[in-house]
Amino acid sequence: MKHLFRAITILLCLTMIPVSAIATAAIKQRFADGPNRVFSGGPLVSGELHRGAEPDWQFVNAIPTIEMQLEDPSTSRRIWTVEHDGRLYVWSGYMRSAVGRLWKQWPVQAERNGNAIFRIEGTRYLRHLERIQTGEALEGIAAAISAKYPSRPTPLTRAVIERGDVWVFEARARQP
Amino acid sequence: MKLFYRACATAVLLTVLAVLFAPGVDDFVEQTFQRYLGRAAS
Repeated sequence: MKHLFRAITILLCLTMIPVSAIATAAIKQRFADGPNRVFSGGPLVSGELHRGAEPDWQFVNAIPTIEMQLEDPSTSRRIWTVEHDGRLYVWSGYMRSAVGRLWKQWPVQAERNGNAIFRIEGTRYLRHLERIQTGEALEGIAAAISAKYPSRPTPLTRAVIERGDVWVFEARARQP
Repeated sequence: MKLFYRACATAVLLTVLAVLFAPGVDDFVEQTFQRYLGRAAS
């Protein structure tokens, strides 16, 4: 019994090292201007705010990820994006897996308050996220996502989105 | 055992300082964490 207790103590002590590394990196990122990889970053501060007409969003199809900050909470993260039919879309996967629901908080927060800021190639855009759960438009969006990200582990289809595995949002323009 | 506790505390402290101040360490930690998280979530 004594040996078991000692083994557990040693294991816990050794686990503290990677846990402290992860926690420190996550906390450090919160104070940064934007995200890096997976940890949430602070508010998007730098970058000129886009004003005027909507840009031709096709240029995002050549960019792997963009930075997005919600209004509430004002943390930022790196997300995938795609343009389809002149409109801008973002999405979140793993929404029905247990780890995914713990990890992916922003889609739930965006459903409550969709006001967001995107930073793409150094320019900030004010957007409003609106979830698309059903409809024929999902077929085109799913095809555009699959074309842009062909290395997805499972093919993205309209059925997958309608089932709630993947949450898709349209990022519409909004005024300040 | 006391020595082991001290070594662990020192290792934790050094890890925190390295992540905070050594260039590239925070990115390495995040990259490694992302790899395991992606596997766990899929």
